[in-house]
Formats: sequence, C-alpha cells, structure tokens
Amino acid sequence: MNAVEMHGIVKQYPLVRALDNVNFEVEKGEIHSILGENGAGKSTLMNVLYGMTTCDEGEILIDGKKVSIKHPSQAIALGIGMVHQHFMLTPVMTVTENIIVGSEPVKGPFVDYKTASKKVAEMIEEYHFGIDANARVQTLSVGQQQRVEILKALYRGANILILDEPTAVLTPQEVEELFVVLRDLKAAGKSIIIITHKLKETQEIADRVSVLRAGVMIDSGLPVKGCSINDLALMMVGRKVDLSFTRHRDDPGDVAFEVKDLNLTIQGVPVLKDLALKVRKGQILGIAGIEGNGQTELIEVLTGLRKPDSMTLLKDGEPLSGNAARFLSAGVGHIPEDRLKRGLVTPLSIEDNIILGYHKLNKFANRGIRKAGAIHSFAEEKVEEFKVKTPNVLEKCSSLSGGNQQKVIIARVFSQDPDVLIAAQPTRGVDVGAQEFIHSRLLDLRDQGKAIILISADLDEVRRLSDRVAVIYDGRIVAESNHDEWDEMELGLLMTGGKEGGGESA
Amino acid sequence: MGIILTYLIPILASTVSMSTPLIFASVGGAFSVRSGVMALGLESMMMCGAFGAVLGSYYSGSFVVGLLCGMLGGMLIGLFHAVLCVRYKVNQVISGIGLNLLATAITTLLMQIVWGNKGTSEMVDSIDTSIGGPIPIISEQSFNFFVMIAVVVIGWIVLFKTRYGLRLRMVGENPRAASSMGLRVHALKYSGVIICGILAGYGGAFLSLDQLNMFVRDMTAGRGYIAVAINILGRYNPLYIVPCALLFGFCDAVQIYLQGQGVPSQLIQMLPYLATLLVLAFGVRHIQAPAGVGKHEDD
Repeated sequence: MNAVEMHGIVKQYPLVRALDNVNFEVEKGEIHSILGENGAGKSTLMNVLYGMTTCDEGEILIDGKKVSIKHPSQAIALGIGMVHQHFMLTPVMTVTENIIVGSEPVKGPFVDYKTASKKVAEMIEEYHFGIDANARVQTLSVGQQQRVEILKALYRGANILILDEPTAVLTPQEVEELFVVLRDLKAAGKSIIIITHKLKETQEIADRVSVLRAGVMIDSGLPVKGCSINDLALMMVGRKVDLSFTRHRDDPGDVAFEVKDLNLTIQGVPVLKDLALKVRKGQILGIAGIEGNGQTELIEVLTGLRKPDSMTLLKDGEPLSGNAARFLSAGVGHIPEDRLKRGLVTPLSIEDNIILGYHKLNKFANRGIRKAGAIHSFAEEKVEEFKVKTPNVLEKCSSLSGGNQQKVIIARVFSQDPDVLIAAQPTRGVDVGAQEFIHSRLLDLRDQGKAIILISADLDEVRRLSDRVAVIYDGRIVAESNHDEWDEMELGLLMTGGKEGGGESA
Repeated sequence: MGIILTYLIPILASTVSMSTPLIFASVGGAFSVRSGVMALGLESMMMCGAFGAVLGSYYSGSFVVGLLCGMLGGMLIGLFHAVLCVRYKVNQVISGIGLNLLATAITTLLMQIVWGNKGTSEMVDSIDTSIGGPIPIISEQSFNFFVMIAVVVIGWIVLFKTRYGLRLRMVGENPRAASSMGLRVHALKYSGVIICGILAGYGGAFLSLDQLNMFVRDMTAGRGYIAVAINILGRYNPLYIVPCALLFGFCDAVQIYLQGQGVPSQLIQMLPYLATLLVLAFGVRHIQAPAGVGKHEDD
C-alpha cells in the first residue's frame, strides 16, 4: 500500500497554474525525491499535502484512505510532518519548547516541562542527534536546528516526513550527517519525501524520483537506479543541459588584483592569517574550502565591507583601500555570498535592485534625482539579456524565485563591467538551468580578460571553472596550483588540513 | 522615625496607589505584545475603561457593576484593535494611535450626551473601603491592592507555566511557525489583545472609581503611554513590570507631594513624564520585543 497518493491535483493562482493535474505516490518506507527547477511547483504540491495551502481540485489518500487536509493540524493528526526550507523555529525558546508546542504534556493546568524535556532528550538519544534538549535554539548551528525541525515532526508521530530543500542551507559535512539521519529514519519505516533541485543528492539518497516541470508531473515514481544525472537534468529542465562544459585559459595577462599580509582578528580570534593571493587578467582563481575557514570574512575584506587589521591590496599595481562604495567605483564587482542579506533589498522592485550600488552613476541619476526612464529601459534590457523570469521590472524582488533573484544580482554586477569580480557562491540554491547560464556568463567574462575570484562550497564548480585553484584552511591559503593538479580526493584532503600542499606559483 | 512616619509613609502609600493602574495596564500590555500585537492602544483602553466604569456605576448605582463595565469598555477597544490588526492586518502603530485619539473624542462626546458637560461627569458610587490593618502603606489601599497582586501572579503563571501561555508566546515570536504547528494563530492573537483590553480597562476603572468618584476629560493623561514604557522596561513579564511600575508610581507620588511646597507645579508635574522619556531613551536599549510583533502567519 502507498503511504501517500495524490490524484489530479490542480492549483490555480491568479496568473499561473501552479499545479496542473498532478499525480504523485509515495510507497511506505522509501525515500522519494521530488525534483524540479525553482518555481516548478514542488513546494506548492507539498504545501497542499501538509495543509498549508488548499488545492482547487484533486484528492489525497493517506494509507489508502481518502482524506481532507485543510490545515496543518489535520496533516499532523494523519502522521505527516514537514521540515520547511526556512526553519519554523523560535530562536529565543528552548529546543524542548519548540518541539512540544501544540501538543504539550500537561500536569493539571501547567505544562509539564520535566516530562517534556525528558521525552525530547530520549528522542535525541534514540536518533543520535547530539543536541541539548534545554538549549536555546539560537545557540545551535544550522544543521542542529534542522534536526530540531525533524524532531518536531517525529514528536508528533510523523510517519511521512516532507523535507523542503533540506540541503540548501547545510555545509557538505552537515549534508552527509543529514543523509545518515534520513537512512536511519527510513530503516525505522518512515516514508520520506525530499523536495530538491540537486541532481547529485537525489542520486545519492533517493529510492525513487518524481520530476515536476512548470506545474506538470513529467515522470512519477521513477527508480533512481539507472537514471543518469543527464537524464534527470533533461527531464527537469526540458532541454539538454550540459553540466560538464568547461574551458580553461592558460595564457593569463598581468596581475590584476593582489592581496598580501592580510590579517584579521574578530573578538580576539584570528580569522585570517598572513593570507596572500593574486589573480591575473583573464583568469579565474577558485578558492576551495570547507565553510567557516575564513571565506566569509575574506569576501568581506576583498569587497571593502570589513576592515582588516593589516593588508596590502593592489589593483593593477595601485593600492586600493576604503569602504565598499569605493571598491565598487574602482571596478571591483561583488556577487555576495548571501543574496538575501547582502545582495538584494527584496521589498524593492527589480529595476531598483538592478542599479543598486551603481545608482549614483550619471546614466541613472542627474544631481541626485533618479532618471526614471533611463533606469526603466536599462532594467528591461538587462532582464531580457539575463533571462530573469518576471512579468515586468516593477515586480518586487521578494516575489522572484531564488534562481531569478540570483540572476538579478548577476545582471547588476556584470552590466557594470567590473575589472575584478569577487563571485561568492554564485550558484547557491539555483537550479541547473540557471546554473548553466551563470557558469557560461562567468567564463565569458573571464574570456573578456577580467580577473575573477570564485569562492564556492561546491567543489565541482570550483574545479570546473577555475584556471587556478587555491585551498583555504583555517584562515590561510594552504595550497595553490593549476586547475588540473589535484583530483577530488586530494583537494578534499587539503581542505580538511590533512596535507600541507605545495604547487608552484604562477 | 518621626520623619519617616510623616513624609515617607504617605509618599510610599501614594506610590502603591499610583502604580496600581499602571500595573493593570502593563500586565495587559504584556499579554498583547506576547501574542505579537503592539500595545500602543493602552491609553484608549484605559480611558474607555475609566469612562465605562463611571457610566456603569452611574446607571446602576453600584461600583461593582461599574468595574464590570470598565472591563467591558477596555475589552471593546481591545476587540476593535484586534479586528484591525489581526483580521485586516492594519499597521499596529497606526491602529493604536488612532484608537487613542478616538477614545478621547468618544468619551468627551458621550459625556456631553449623558451629563451635558464636556469636562466632568457627575459623582457616582465609588470604592472607598480601606483595608485597614497594621501595615501603614497598605492599610489605605482598597481591595484592588489584592486584585492587582493576583493579576500579576496569575498573569505570570499563565504566560510562562501554562499551555495557553506557551502557545501565545510562540505566536508572538513566530506566527508562521505557530501556524505550521497547527496552532490557531488568529484566535490566540485575539485572546491576547482582548485580555489586554480587559486588564487595561480595569486599570482605567481604578482611576475613576478608586482614586476618584467621577470621570474627567482626558482622565488617563498619558498613563497608557507610560504603561507602554513600563511594559517594555519590564520585558513583557508581569513580575518585572511591578518594580518598573513602582518607579513611575513613585515619581507620581513625589510629584503630588511636592505640589504646594513652593516649587513651580508645572515643573513638578513633568516628573513622571520625564522619567518615561529617560527610560525610553536609555533603559530599553537591550530589550528585545518578541520577534513576531507586527508579523502575520502568511507573510
């Protein structure tokens, strides 16, 4: 018997048909991946199952029985649990409080916190989650917070667990840990649904896969074994996607951007130590490393957002210093690591975001007054060029999917023709179609003779795009070499500090 | 000892009496903010509570009915605020300030209609029973002293020890999360704001029926705003609210005592408001309101 059956689900929004006659089934005790691009309707489908939204047509069967789910409380009662992409946690409350709210054990009129935290601690023990039941959620790492979310569902007796983009916010290690947890849960007989656009992860963890594209179920319940990544990409995007294309350049020009003696201490802890790197014109320098080894701070220093304790920074041989605005006007472009934090002002329109940081340029402003017409036509041109999917440029950035938000940033940075580009996680949370597009634009920029520093947690990305690869570990560049010097294993070893690498300098 | 008896004890007794309505309103405010709805409308709830109490006592001849009507008056404003903020998602600052303006206007209008006088109401049946007993500061208070203590203790227990309180706080911190856990977010928010209205209304009724025996125009004179400050300073926790309210009550008591002592009265009357200003400027910097204030479950 199937744990979940959804038949003929239709969801119509004012302008788009989010789900068009979708059929979907999950067997008991399997891990089922729902694959699709950003905005394909994956989350909508699962929100229907969890009662966060209601569908216009269609029926849902849980364990073979027809049910009506209009509110999450009904889904919870049916044994469905959901781990949302953006965690539904209250940071100032404890793990226990977050888990029990809504189904609290009581003793008379009072919440029985003792029993509750004991039960939560037992569950943590049982699943080897390694968190303190009485810790405040704000003190936990992202991976631990996700486990609290999973516990929330398990505490309510969930047999069907929905995870919405569970790996989007995790470091590679945390992803591995999550997969161990998911396999344990599967062994315990839970049915697990994973919403994702990551093909590799689907291959690694899922038993079967269903592919959604623009609200239509392309293929449902396909066994993952026997599907190649290219097959999956073809189904998901609807055209052939080449995920292995690359080209390198071995004839870089002069040094365009050079950093020496970079030291940074935050609250007494040295974060960057005597760091040095240089990148030449027409070269992509990839910086590989496990997150938390100083990348975030390095990006901030290289874009003028943070003042280091000491640094010599030369751009085209000239010293460069000052704040972020100064760096921008000097031709150092920045694709920020966290697009929502540093990249976009989401309540503003696409056209405002597309000139953000460059809004003082004469082509956009006349003595401090916006040139509305010029901005509008510029934005329309760029939206077209960079294939941002939107009805018009006055749309708020918050209404765009993650991939399209990223394209807005790429459009902004690329259109101002920077000499040096600091590209941090340029394709994080972006589906393969958009990923392919962004990668080819990066290579184009490099071919135009620009210098690019690429900082990414995605090793494939670093290895494929970079002409040279540097490894950052514990705030230092521990190794640097040409792109083809190391294989994945060697690189992985260097990233964990297992080997002090050499490599000749360029 | 003599000095203490002549000066300090009257001032302290007055401090308690002045703090009582502030405590009622602030504890109410804690319920509202904990549910995620700003309590800027406390002034209007107190004002309508004060007016409702006098009206009820006037028509019935009994202060008990008056107190009930006072709570009803505050509750109606609370309900109105909740409908605006929860059902229609109106900006909470605008709703709160709008209600405060409305309350002044509506009570003045009704005074004119009922008593034919825009300035003061007629005198009505009021609370004049002192507890008595050996403790000098408390002996001059009415039974409302104990009501106040009960409200503080029960308010704290409800907020931090019961299932309802946990759910209310979860709604105030993160309405989306609360909704995804199957909680009824709207119902909980309504309950928080209505409890706020009832308690603030009782605080207002205390002003008109316990401290006085009539309603005068603009009776609350900014006490609702002071209660907003106390609520923040007390970290939306009934237990912490008490000492904060006593601080403001003390300023008020000193102000009353100093009147007629040769200091210009206008300067003296500034005291409680000056304290509010200083507290808001320097005291509340590191206090964080619940993260979900002003947010909705479908944002």
